[in-house]
Amino acid sequence: MKEAMTYEAAGYRLTRKPTIWETLTSERYFKWTLLIPLIVLLGIFMIYPLLYCAYYSFHQWGMRGNALYVGAQNYRQLLNDKAFLEALYRTFKVLVICIVSELLIGLGLALLWSREFRGENVVRGLALLPLLVAPLILSLLWNFMFEYDFGAVNIVLQSLGLNKIYWWSPERALYSICFITIWQWFPFATFVLVAGLRSLPKDVFEAARVDGASSWYTFRRLTLPMLSPLIMIVIVLRTMWLIRLFDPLYGTTRGGVQTELLDWIVYRTAFVYFDIGYGSTMATFSLVLTMAICAIMFRILMKALGGTK
Amino acid sequence: MSTFGKIIFWVITLFVLFIIVAPLAWIYLTAFKAPNDIFTTDVKKLVFFKFTSENFQRLFREFPFWPNFVNTIIISAASTVVVLVISALAAYSFARWNTGRGHLLFTTISTRMFPGVVAAIPFFVLYRNLGLLDTRFGLTLLHIYFNTSFATFLLYGFFKEIPEELEQAAMIDGYSRVDIFRKIVMPLVRPGLAVTAVFCLVWSWNEFLFSFLFTRVTARPVTVLISSFWGSIEVQYGPMAAGAAIVILPTLVIAWFMQRYIIRGLTFGAVKG
Repeated sequence: MKEAMTYEAAGYRLTRKPTIWETLTSERYFKWTLLIPLIVLLGIFMIYPLLYCAYYSFHQWGMRGNALYVGAQNYRQLLNDKAFLEALYRTFKVLVICIVSELLIGLGLALLWSREFRGENVVRGLALLPLLVAPLILSLLWNFMFEYDFGAVNIVLQSLGLNKIYWWSPERALYSICFITIWQWFPFATFVLVAGLRSLPKDVFEAARVDGASSWYTFRRLTLPMLSPLIMIVIVLRTMWLIRLFDPLYGTTRGGVQTELLDWIVYRTAFVYFDIGYGSTMATFSLVLTMAICAIMFRILMKALGGTK
Repeated sequence: MSTFGKIIFWVITLFVLFIIVAPLAWIYLTAFKAPNDIFTTDVKKLVFFKFTSENFQRLFREFPFWPNFVNTIIISAASTVVVLVISALAAYSFARWNTGRGHLLFTTISTRMFPGVVAAIPFFVLYRNLGLLDTRFGLTLLHIYFNTSFATFLLYGFFKEIPEELEQAAMIDGYSRVDIFRKIVMPLVRPGLAVTAVFCLVWSWNEFLFSFLFTRVTARPVTVLISSFWGSIEVQYGPMAAGAAIVILPTLVIAWFMQRYIIRGLTFGAVKG
């Protein structure tokens, strides 16, 4: 309608109304037309779960019968739920342990591998192998390798004259899970940083060398600051993935021996006890938490992205 | 590098590679071991043992390995195709017009950070009412959902690389917006589409949480079958290793041949490895 008006105002006689296809692909609407499938998808798969969880978090419901409105009782229960708070604490612990270890190992190896050397492609190819393997299968593999009697790790330890270690004890299990995750992901940090080191401007380092700066000083004052956008990218992306760690738990302890993490406790409440009401409360809480962290992280990420381009 | 430096360099490099590769090789060794070689405490038998295909035969005979494997192939292929269509359109819009001024792009990417269980609860109840539980169609829909945000963001980077002048030139030649997208932009972004497709395939292939919650028998993907070998009563290490050996093979091959793109893909295009 609006277009017809403008055509007339311009002095043209409009012979027919534009078809739907013409409207959709017009200069003005084409960018939105392209987004229709995505918006429909997001509407179904994002808004619906959000509203659903928010609604049931104020109800008591076990998948049978009618839901009972209980107000904020679920949230009160949540804040006093020791198991939930512990799972939350453990999740942050895993986050810190994994990210710090991956970055330290990654930085060390990146400094080693950033130079050009023969066999570079083979080394990189082999080192990147675990990244695309299903985390579930890797955790099953390590679960077997860490087995007390027949696990390869303990057999090797024994043949070296060392004591066998009970890897899945309540004190160690969480660290064993961290180890599996770090083992799979340190090549990621390594090669992000290798890419960073290789793109550093050479003349600055040349100048520093001429000025007689020590290698430690150069590393601390030049290399690290220049790498910081890439370090941020690793931290942001790893936070996103680690905060919802689930598969390695399923392949190993199944939430037992004090390894329950955030996603696992929601899963247990909703799908093992079928307590949809309280499960939704946990889900809503963890969603708000993740969104808050991600909003901050996204801002940092976009800044870091701007910095590397 | 001095000779001494070279030696140190290769000692560390080989040690790290051993740590990475040995556990993966271990899967393949275990897959070909007889049960009494799997349950041994003899360190020599870790590597030296009699090869047997017993585990594979048991896997194919006693467990629905191939039907589950086919499920995985169908679900990951179908979801990847749909994801590519949706995200290519959206990514082009974001890259060319910055539609929604970044807010919409953030909303899209944030679905990737959603805790999976948040979506799982409502959809489990919904699927139960619609009869979509344990169907390939139902699981494919969920895979489409969790891959779209990733694909959109990755493709966004590829679309951004196409110079806008090219499109303006085409417009002067009388191309419509649709023609430009189909005939100019899509051919240029084809390598990006290929990389994105491979990543979507791999994520869908490896996906576990939704597969495990939403399937039981008919639509069960192969990762869920393998996880079932590690039960609380008995553990089927032999068939588990044999199954894992087959399932991870495509992803290992892809990792090897895509090594230049892995870092780029995993960082959503931020780092050009």
